[in-house]
Amino acid sequence: MRGVRIPEARGSRLRVSPTAAGARVRVEGVRKETIETGRNRLLVTGALFLAVFMVIAGRLVCLSMPAAPSGEASVARQQYAGVAGRADIVDRNGVVLATSLPIASLYADPANVMATPALVQRLAAALPGLDPETVLAKLDSDAGFVWLKRGLVPRHVYAVNRLGIPGLEFRREERRVYPQGRQAAHVLGATDVDGSGIAGVELAFQDTLSGGDAPLRLSLDVRVQTVMTDVLARTMREFDAIGAAGAMLDVRTGEVLALVSLPDFDPNARTTAAGAAGFNRVTKGVYEMGSTFKLFTAAAALDSGTVRLDDVYDASRPIRIARFTITDFHPIERPLSVPEILTRSSNIGAVKMALDVGGVVQRHYLRQLGLLDRSAIELPEVGIPLVPDPWRDINTMTVAYGHGVAVSPLQLASAVAALVNGGTLIPPTLIKTPRAADGRRVLSEETSQTMRGLMRYIVVNGTGKNADVPGFAVGGKTGTAEKVVDTGYSANALISSFVAVFPMSAPRYVLLTLIDEPKGNEGTLGYATGGWVAAPATARLVTRIAPLLGLSPQPTSEIHDPALSPVSANGGARTRKRNLVAN
Amino acid sequence: MRGATLLTVILASGIGLAVFLLEYRVKDLENQLYALDRAVVAERESIRVLEAEWSHLNDPARLGAMAARLLGMEPVAPDQLTSMAELPQRVPDAPDEKDER
Repeated sequence: MRGVRIPEARGSRLRVSPTAAGARVRVEGVRKETIETGRNRLLVTGALFLAVFMVIAGRLVCLSMPAAPSGEASVARQQYAGVAGRADIVDRNGVVLATSLPIASLYADPANVMATPALVQRLAAALPGLDPETVLAKLDSDAGFVWLKRGLVPRHVYAVNRLGIPGLEFRREERRVYPQGRQAAHVLGATDVDGSGIAGVELAFQDTLSGGDAPLRLSLDVRVQTVMTDVLARTMREFDAIGAAGAMLDVRTGEVLALVSLPDFDPNARTTAAGAAGFNRVTKGVYEMGSTFKLFTAAAALDSGTVRLDDVYDASRPIRIARFTITDFHPIERPLSVPEILTRSSNIGAVKMALDVGGVVQRHYLRQLGLLDRSAIELPEVGIPLVPDPWRDINTMTVAYGHGVAVSPLQLASAVAALVNGGTLIPPTLIKTPRAADGRRVLSEETSQTMRGLMRYIVVNGTGKNADVPGFAVGGKTGTAEKVVDTGYSANALISSFVAVFPMSAPRYVLLTLIDEPKGNEGTLGYATGGWVAAPATARLVTRIAPLLGLSPQPTSEIHDPALSPVSANGGARTRKRNLVAN
Repeated sequence: MRGATLLTVILASGIGLAVFLLEYRVKDLENQLYALDRAVVAERESIRVLEAEWSHLNDPARLGAMAARLLGMEPVAPDQLTSMAELPQRVPDAPDEKDER
């Protein structure tokens, strides 16, 4: 404003406007126009400058602001997100079973490396297991990128860096690590090189694991798992068996606390999972279970009201049907009551009981117990049971003692859980469940109570004696099935099993042990049956597992009495019971 | 007018200096944040590695074997367990002299 002068402003032609006195000065004529033009130009220039200054100021503010999305800090955060890409798998107590660790892999661009034999020798000295010839060939190639060694431990990264060879670079990768090695390998499964699941829980929960940060909490208890692996491995060695399977379920929630299949593999070394080692006998394998099925025969007979506990069956003569003869291991020359059929594991008695029940009802109960359909466990490796179709009388008879139907060990354990937990079938699960699940009712409360008594009775008086553990009131049933070899059943290739429930006074856990093709030894008088092989293993398991789970031993006398109240109410049955004890 | 100009110039250079200083401070802080973030990442990574190692070293099979080999321990037998309630009653204290009086 300074440069503009209005010398005539004080002249006579200056008039003061009456409306805005003192506020405005009016100049008229040519001079007025000149002034107006000057003022307008000034305004335009000023506005332009103002706009440019505003832009500069705005830009200045922008530049000095910490640029959030493209800053280096957020890059570091993204890097971290990459490391935690796959969620951990932990056991029910939070012990890490599978985790992803950052790991370095050594690579090179051959064009940038002076590949000399001396250099390769130095590298091979720093990295054991590296073949100098291969490395030299790789570095001589025309490729723009070659992996030299993947998955280096920090010590080796340090050794390579110390060599100071230019052109060798590390790339960060992620590797799935199973810190507990072989423990629960069949449940965990495996991942491929890219870190996505190819078996077991890793595959079944692929989406959850790759998406989330929170660890996947399994129902397994790593301590129980370890004890079971140890005991089964010893039993396998003792009886020179080809395999073993074990499962332990919580009867109220259906949670699987341990699942062991032997031989097993090390998920850290994928090649060990080849062949039999990778086969999950507990869920994928289906076996004819043998006498453990007599529990279901009895449960169906009692629950349907067809048979009463003190009904007796004549089991002295073998049953002949078509080309088969059904015999007993130790035939008894007198009628047997239902508890005796179970304690002596009488095939003939079981068959007669099943015939009284009838094929339709028998099948209905087995289906209700989940034995005829695929198990709902959260694993990709689930076997489909082998069920006869059509279901003839002969099937009714053989299924009564566990032949002619092949089910997975897990299905059997889950069905036995339903027998003793009050009569509801709870689908088995591998995920930790906070509270008891609502099951589907398959048996009456009363039948379940009777079955508890019968199972305890078998261990106290029958074929399951070797499974008893003083203080923990084990109940259960032995099973010995002949395997199908070539065209027929073989008396030398057995599946010996024992399904146990403890503590019988208030059942908490069902425990199944199954030994594949055990061979009898001097210790067992040459026998390789369930009572001689699987029952002692069960006793060892209960002895070690029950204290781990916080069960304290109870005086046994209070426990086994309520078991057979219907029998002890009947005088005749009581006499027979005494005879049995005397045997 | 002269005064106003002077004031504007002082203000402008003052603000310019302040922005300049602020910018450097922001840069410093950003570097610090970056370093801290990297440290957090490194820390978390080592926590993961250590957790894995902890789990590996606590493998019950390994601990059991070591306890058996080095300490001569064996699995607990049921008769070695008891509860507080089953322990025999403690012998009552001898009566105090004060009570007799």
